Amino acid sequence: MNEKKLFEIVARVFNSPINEINYESNPENIENWDSFTGFVLLDEIETNFDVKFTMDESLEIEKIEDFKNVLKKKGIKFE
Amino acid sequence: MEMKKLSYYINEAKKIMPENYKKKIRIAFVGSFTLNGFEETIQVECNEEKINCTTYNSPYNQFNQEILNENSNLYKFKPDIIFLLIDNRTILGDLFYFTNINSEKEKKKIVDKKFNELDGLIETVTKKIQSKIVIANFVIPTYTSLGIYESKIEYGIKEIILDLNKKLKTMSKNIDSCYVYDFNSFVTKFGEKNVLDYKKMNYGDIKIDFDIIPYLIYEFLGYVKPILGLNKKCIVLDLDNTLWGNIVGEDGFEGIKIGPYIEGKSFVEFQKVIKSLSENGIILAINSKNNQKEAMKVINEHPHMILRENDFSCIKINWNDKISNMKEISNELNIGLDSIVFFDDDPVNRELIRISIPEINTIELPKDPSTYAQILRNLNDFNTLKITQDDTKRKIMYKQEQNRQKLESSTKNLNEYLKKLDIKIKIKLNDKISISRISQLILKTNQFNLTTKRYQEEEIKEFVKNEKMIVGCSEVEDKFGENGITNVFIIKTKSNEWIIDTFLLSCRIMGRGIEEGILSKILEIAKKKGVEKITATFIPTEKNKPAENFLKNYGFKKEGENWTFLLKNKIKIPNYLQVELK
Repeated sequence: MNEKKLFEIVARVFNSPINEINYESNPENIENWDSFTGFVLLDEIETNFDVKFTMDESLEIEKIEDFKNVLKKKGIKFE
Repeated sequence: MEMKKLSYYINEAKKIMPENYKKKIRIAFVGSFTLNGFEETIQVECNEEKINCTTYNSPYNQFNQEILNENSNLYKFKPDIIFLLIDNRTILGDLFYFTNINSEKEKKKIVDKKFNELDGLIETVTKKIQSKIVIANFVIPTYTSLGIYESKIEYGIKEIILDLNKKLKTMSKNIDSCYVYDFNSFVTKFGEKNVLDYKKMNYGDIKIDFDIIPYLIYEFLGYVKPILGLNKKCIVLDLDNTLWGNIVGEDGFEGIKIGPYIEGKSFVEFQKVIKSLSENGIILAINSKNNQKEAMKVINEHPHMILRENDFSCIKINWNDKISNMKEISNELNIGLDSIVFFDDDPVNRELIRISIPEINTIELPKDPSTYAQILRNLNDFNTLKITQDDTKRKIMYKQEQNRQKLESSTKNLNEYLKKLDIKIKIKLNDKISISRISQLILKTNQFNLTTKRYQEEEIKEFVKNEKMIVGCSEVEDKFGENGITNVFIIKTKSNEWIIDTFLLSCRIMGRGIEEGILSKILEIAKKKGVEKITATFIPTEKNKPAENFLKNYGFKKEGENWTFLLKNKIKIPNYLQVELK
């Protein structure tokens, strides 16, 4: 469920079809992912999952899977 | 008011189709920190208002270079309006952090120097281009290293920022095209901890939280609307449960709620905000289904009403449908439906007006009346770039107009009526004092306007200086009072031919032959100067039908796209008008 939620946020922020989003999605394979929209994504994930990423956690993000890992650390369950 | 999230605007901006709207604006953002997202948000918000908006975002923290370099992309972009945002740390440098190392005298010296640099930048912009420039003022920090002792020392950091803001205000009072945006109040409204995000600040020098950006842009749109003449002129109000609580027809004079007690206070506050807007020239009208006698008794006699009969320029209290009432209000006040904002607590009425007259801005009201005043305060529709004397007198002028209409219906013959009015027209040429009113009329007059060309105040100043051009305006008065400046004309002159670039008449004074009187005077002046021919154009728009036959009826002859008048012909001035050149 949270996987779907995460992918939906990513799809909405980058305006891309949800079936093109997976854990390997990154700035190389998503057209609208640049340094600024990357912040926007982080911001939306923080708001929607009601968590805060630390500076270091946010610096380590390279692909969508990294978001999942931090979220799991913060107690968000992924199957 | 709820705004959408920034990601919505970023995506939506990509979908905007290049519609050909009549209203166009070029907006530049210049700042000392990251302003990403601003462009997309304002593009989408403009598009919703049917404005074609082109934007430019200066490279990160290059405001000095962009302004000082004559060939910068900012100047090449040719903006109509520039928003300049500089943050405390950039302008004050170390002084922002280490306020108390220096003596008061030294601090003042540093602040003066920093401000003069900023002042110099603004002056450079105003000399270089005819753009409005809006500078955000500085945010008073909530933290000071002195803590509670801050109040005991002279010129601490809070006082420094206050001083800078005061200097900004003085500057903007002296430069017509420069406005100060009260960013400090904006941050106060949303709360420093919600607006400023330190993680993002370190990350990408993003100073303003993403969710807050759309609210800030909404306020910026408050500058764009009056530049394009899109600001609203009139508030139309319902009565029961809008201006007071309960229903006068059912609960009676004593049963309605307004006054200094819990359920009554919301309505007092709402009426006070409305009244303050009316003092700045916004006109008020009532559109209510009610028994007129009962409702008027409340308006005239209820001890706690703030708005009284005299505050309203048009009152429709009857059992007719609200759509016809609305159209009558628009007709009687001679204002377009698109300059009306409508308040009604009843969702059915709101939907009715929204569907049948979408031009009207019908405000969504929650059930709780304690929110009304704040909703009205948050609207960005009533901004004006200038408040002229005419604005503050407008309410009286509309009342006089109603008296004129009464006389008109009691006088059978139109010519006889016009004679009785005792109309005097005073024409002024290239009068610098009138420029702001002239510009206001040029930006907002839709109906009696031959060419509907829009010029900003700065352009008009250039025209006045130009020896080959004449910028004229006319003040009109009659036995009921003064109408102020209600006509503008701009003429391009050649030795044997004058070309009428602009000729407009405020809707307040239409239908009295005043336009003929003014045109005749222009022709007389031209004839005296040896000019042989006058050329004019009529450019049709959706709204300027009233001016359609003016040139033809006066005796101009069609010549291709233009209308011409040869000055060897006789010039006639209507006999009931007194026209003089000042």
